[in-house]
Amino acid sequence: MTDITTGNTITFQGPPAVSGGAEARSRGYWAGVARRLRHDRFTLFFLALALLIILGALIAPWLGLPDPFQTSMARRLKPIGFKGHLLGTDELGRDLFSRLVYGGRTSLLLGIVPVVLATLIGGLLGVVAGFFGRGVNMLIMRVMDVFYAFPSVLLAVAISGTLGGGILNGLIALTLVFIPSLCRIAESATVQIRALDYIEAARATGASNWSIIRTHVIGNVLTPVVVYASSLISVAVLLGAGLSFLGLGVEPPTPDWGQMLSSLRQSIYVQPLICALPGLAIFLTSLSFNFISDGLRRAMDVKA
Amino acid sequence: MIGYIIKRMLYIIPVCLGVTAVCFALMYLAPGDPAQALLPPDATPEDAAYLLRLYGFDQPVWVQYGRWVLRAASGDLGVSLQSQRPVFREVMSALGNTAVLSAGAVLLAFVLAFILGTVAAYNIGSRIDQASTTLSITGVSVPNYWLGIVLVIVFAVELGWLPAAGMGSAGSDSFSLTDWAQLRYAILPIITMSVLPLGIIMRSVRASVAEALGQESIQLLRAKGLPPYAILTHAVKNAFPQILAVMGLQFGFLVGGSILVETIFNWPGTGFLLGKAILTRDVPLLQGTILVLSISFVIINLVVDVLQSIFDPRVRRT
Amino acid sequence: MKNNEITWGLKRSASLLAAGLLLALSANAAKAESVLRVGMTVSDIPDWSGQPDQGYEGARFVGWSLYDSLINWDLSRSDIEARMAPGLATEWAVDPQNDKRWIFKLRQGVKFHDSCEWNAKSALWNIERLTVQTVPQFNPVQYARQRSRTGNLDRAEVVDDYTLAIYSKTPDALFPYNFYNWFMISPCAGEAAKYDYSEFAKHPVGTGPYKFDKVNPRERLELVKNAEYWDKKRIPRHDRLVLLPMPESTTRTAALLSGQADFIEAPAPDMIDRLKESGAQIYTNEYPHVWVYAFNTRKGPFSNVKVRQAANYAINREEMVEMLNGLAVAAGSTYSEKSPFFGGAKPYDYQPEKAKALLREANCSPCEIRIAMSNSGSGMMQPLSMNELVKEQLEQVGFKVTLSVVDWNSIMSISQKGWEANPDYDAVNGANPIIDPVSAIFRRYTTASNAPQGLNWGWYNNAKVDELAKQAQQTFDVGKQTEIISEMHRLTTEDPPLLFVVRDLNPRALGPNVKGFVQAQSWFQDLTPITVE
Repeated sequence: MTDITTGNTITFQGPPAVSGGAEARSRGYWAGVARRLRHDRFTLFFLALALLIILGALIAPWLGLPDPFQTSMARRLKPIGFKGHLLGTDELGRDLFSRLVYGGRTSLLLGIVPVVLATLIGGLLGVVAGFFGRGVNMLIMRVMDVFYAFPSVLLAVAISGTLGGGILNGLIALTLVFIPSLCRIAESATVQIRALDYIEAARATGASNWSIIRTHVIGNVLTPVVVYASSLISVAVLLGAGLSFLGLGVEPPTPDWGQMLSSLRQSIYVQPLICALPGLAIFLTSLSFNFISDGLRRAMDVKA
Repeated sequence: MIGYIIKRMLYIIPVCLGVTAVCFALMYLAPGDPAQALLPPDATPEDAAYLLRLYGFDQPVWVQYGRWVLRAASGDLGVSLQSQRPVFREVMSALGNTAVLSAGAVLLAFVLAFILGTVAAYNIGSRIDQASTTLSITGVSVPNYWLGIVLVIVFAVELGWLPAAGMGSAGSDSFSLTDWAQLRYAILPIITMSVLPLGIIMRSVRASVAEALGQESIQLLRAKGLPPYAILTHAVKNAFPQILAVMGLQFGFLVGGSILVETIFNWPGTGFLLGKAILTRDVPLLQGTILVLSISFVIINLVVDVLQSIFDPRVRRT
Repeated sequence: MKNNEITWGLKRSASLLAAGLLLALSANAAKAESVLRVGMTVSDIPDWSGQPDQGYEGARFVGWSLYDSLINWDLSRSDIEARMAPGLATEWAVDPQNDKRWIFKLRQGVKFHDSCEWNAKSALWNIERLTVQTVPQFNPVQYARQRSRTGNLDRAEVVDDYTLAIYSKTPDALFPYNFYNWFMISPCAGEAAKYDYSEFAKHPVGTGPYKFDKVNPRERLELVKNAEYWDKKRIPRHDRLVLLPMPESTTRTAALLSGQADFIEAPAPDMIDRLKESGAQIYTNEYPHVWVYAFNTRKGPFSNVKVRQAANYAINREEMVEMLNGLAVAAGSTYSEKSPFFGGAKPYDYQPEKAKALLREANCSPCEIRIAMSNSGSGMMQPLSMNELVKEQLEQVGFKVTLSVVDWNSIMSISQKGWEANPDYDAVNGANPIIDPVSAIFRRYTTASNAPQGLNWGWYNNAKVDELAKQAQQTFDVGKQTEIISEMHRLTTEDPPLLFVVRDLNPRALGPNVKGFVQAQSWFQDLTPITVE
C-alpha cells in the first residue's frame, strides 16, 4: 500500500486480529508495546520535546512572556540574548521567543486538527466501505481514488488557494488531503477482519451491523489507523507551515511559523540566525512527531 | 498481464473525469469575480459584464463545465486571462522545467539512498543502520522551503559558488544539462528537492534489500560462502521492482508539489505558474495547471504500476 | 502535440542522466555584446503585445521599451518631477472652434521596427484598437485595461497624413492626460498576425528604443537596441535589455549579489546595507506616489472632519521614515511642496496634543475604528509593519484601532465597490499614484467619482471641490487650470478625504559595473542611457 501524502510505502504490520475482538485482545500485547517504548530512550526524548512544544503552545498566555504583538521600531531585529528578549526580536521588534511559542498554537493546530478530523472522517468512511462492501465500497472508494489523483501539496495549495487564505480554509484543505489515505487503511483493515470467522459467528447470533462494527471492527481497525495517523502529523505540520509560507494559511499578524519564516526572509542578511529560527521550529516539531511515530511503529511491530 | 494493463489503463478514465469535476468545483467555489482582476478599479459594471460574457462566465455552471471538459479532452484548456496565451502551451512548457528538477532530485536521492540503504540493510541493527535510519527520518522532516533559503545564503550569497535563482541566461528554451553554465542553476533547487525523496527511498531500499537478504535462496547463497558483493547484487535485483515503484511515485509527488521550491528559486515551472495563477485569480490558468498536474500524476502512477507488474507479477494493484 | 511534449519531457529526464556523466566544466562563452539585466518585482513578464498589464511596472519596463505613445514622458532629469513630453505626437491642442475636438500633430519620418509607416492612419488604427468593439484589431483585454482612460473618448478621425483629431464626449480640458500610456503597435504586424494577439506576441512590433528579440514566458523578455530610434538622444547605450520577473525581494537581492542581475527594483530595506557593502549602488528618488488611508466620510467617526484631521495630526511620519530605513519621505498632503499643484496647502505634521483636542471636540473617545489593509500589493511598500506602526500611533492619541488583514485581490475589490458594500470599515489602506491631477484628485475627491463609478471610496463630498472640478474641466488655459487644481488641493488638505502618511522613495539597486542611470521622479524610468561595463 502506498501512502498518498509522502509516497511512502507503508510496511506496517498491526497487532494480530485476535478472534474475539477488541476486548479479548491480549493485554500482553499492549504491555509489551509500553515496555518496548519505555526502553526506547531516543523516542522518549522526542516525545518529551513534542510534549514541551504542545504544552508551551497551550499555556502560552500564562507563561508571562512578552506580548507577541507589541511592536517597537527601536528594538527591531535584535540578536539572540538581547536584554529582555531570549531569542531576539523580529522585523517589527516583537519578541521572537514569545512569537515562536504562540506560533506553535497555529502551527500545531494546522498539524493536529486536520489529522484528527481526517482520522475520524476517513476512518469512518473506510470502515463503512469495508464492512458493507459492494456498491457502498465502490462509491466511497472511487471518490477517494479521485482525491488520490492529486499530489498532496497540489491539493492543499489548490484548495486554500482558491478558497482564499485563512486558518479555516487551511484546515479544510489539509483535512481533505489526508482523508483518502486514512480511508484506504481503514477499509483494507475492515475487509480483512470481516472475512474472519467470528464476525460470521456474531452475525449468526443476530447482532446488528452497527453493533458488530462497534464491538469487533473499530477496535481492530483503530490501531493501524492511529499509527498511520501519527505519522501524518509531521506531514501536516510541514504542509500547514508551507501554506502559511506561501501566504495561503495563517494571516498576519497572528504568529505562525511558516508565516514568520516568510516575513523574516526579508531580513535574512541582517540577522540570519534569527531568520532561521521559525524554520528550525518547524523542523524540530516535524522531526519529533516523525521519531515518535517511528518508535510507536517499532514498538507495535511484534515481529521486530 | 496484457489484460491487467488494459484494465488499469481504462480505469484512469473515470478517475480523470472525477479530477476534472474537482478542478471545476474548486473554481466555482472560489470567491471573487474573474473579470475584476482584469479591469482597472474604476471600470463600470457594464465593462465587467462584457468581460464575463466574453469568457462565457455568464453561462449556467453545467454548460461551463461541459464545454470545459470537451475542450480539455482535445488539449484546449482555454486562454490565460492575464497573459492571453493558450493555457495548454503554458503548462506544458512549465511542466518540462519542473520535470528537470524533479527527475534530477529523484535521481540524486536514488543514488544516495541506494548506497546508504543497502549498507544499512546489510548491517541491520548496527550503528550504521541506526544512523542511516535517523538520516532518513531527518530527511522527511526538513521543511524544504527553509532548507532552500539556507542553501541560497550559504552557496549563492556568501560563497558565491552557485546562482541564487532562475534558469540561467539561455532560459528554458535551450536549457541544456550538459552545459555547466546552465546546469549550475539547477543544482541548489535539485538538492533542496531531493531531501524528502532521499529519506523515503532510503527507507524503502533498506526495507526491501533487508527482506531480500532474508529470503531462503539468498540465505542459501550465503551459506555457500558467496562474497558479500555477489549476495548484495542478488538481493538488490530482487528488491528493485519495489524501489522502482517508490522512485516513480516520488517523481510524481515532486512534479505536483514543486510550488514551494520553485517559489524560492524563481524556477519557471508548474509550481511557479500555479502561484501566479492563484495570485492573479487567473481561472483558466489555475484550472488548467491543476488539471494537467493531477493527470500527469495519474499517468505516472499508471506507468509505475505497469512497470512494476512487468518486473514483479506478484504486485498487481487494482 | 501532447505526445511531443511528453517525449520532450522524457528526453529532458534522459539528458539529465547524461549530464550526471558529462559534468564537464565548459567555460562561459565570452560576451561580445553589452547586456543590461533587470530584476522586476512582477510575477510574470507584463503583456508585451501592446497595453501591458501588471500596473505601471509593466508600462515602465515593457511599454516604454518596445513602444511609444502619442505623449511620452521626459525622464532625463532627476531633480524635478517628470513632465509629459512630445512622443509620437509633436503637439496637441483643443480645436478653437470645437471644445470637444482635439488636434494631435504627429511626428513625421518615424517607422515601426518592421518599417511600417507611422502616420495618422496607424494612429487611428491604434485608437480604435482599444475603443471600437467592431474593428478587427479590437483587443478586449487591453480595452479593459485602458478603460479608465477611455470613458470620455467619443471617436477619432484622420485629418491629413500627419494630423489626427480625437473627440471627447463632453468638453474636457484634462483630456490629453488620457494619452500618455497609450502604446502604439504596428498595424502592418497586427494585420500580418490576422489580428490574433497571441500570434502578434510572437513578434511584437512598435516604434520604441528597443526591438523585440525573444521571450520565454514567465522567465525573461529579451530586447535589442533599436539603432534607428527616432529620438537620437535615446538610442540605448547597451546592446541588449533582458527583463526578468522576480517577485521576491530576497531573490532579487540575491540575484544582484551573485551577479545574475545588473539592476533590481525595490530591494528590501533591511538588505540595503548588505548591498552597499558589496559595492552595489542604491538609487532613491521621489515619485508621484502617496501611501494613504481612504476615510469613510459617510458613516462612523470619520464622517466628522475633526476626526479626520485628528488622525492626520496623530501620525509621526518621521518615526515611520526611520522604520523604513529612510526609504520614504513624510507626506502630509496629496502633493508635495515641489508639485506645481501644491497651491500653498498646509500639510499635516505630528501634533499629538492637537489631535487629542480635536478628538475631544468631536466627542469621540475612545474613537473606535476598523481599518481594512492588505499584506502585499503594488505600491504598498511594507504594509504589515507600516499598519502596525500607524495603529500604535493612532492609539496614542485616543483611537482604538482594529486592523483587518485581507489579501490584495480583496482589498482591490473593497476599494472598487465603495464604502456602501463594506460599511464596517472606517478606512481602507492604499497607495495612490498621483501621476496626473485626473487620477490624483478628480477621480478620488469629487462626488461624480463616488465608488463604484470612480475611485472615491468613502464618498468624500465637498461642494467647493466639485464646483472647481467642473471649472477646471472647462478651462483650456493651462496656467489658469493649474491655479484651479491648486485650489482644489488646498481645500482637500484642509478638509482631508484621506489619512496621508508617506511617499515611497522607490529604491533601486544597481551593480557596481552599471553607469549612467538617471532616476527620474516618475513611475516610469529611462533605461537607454545606461552602460554596462
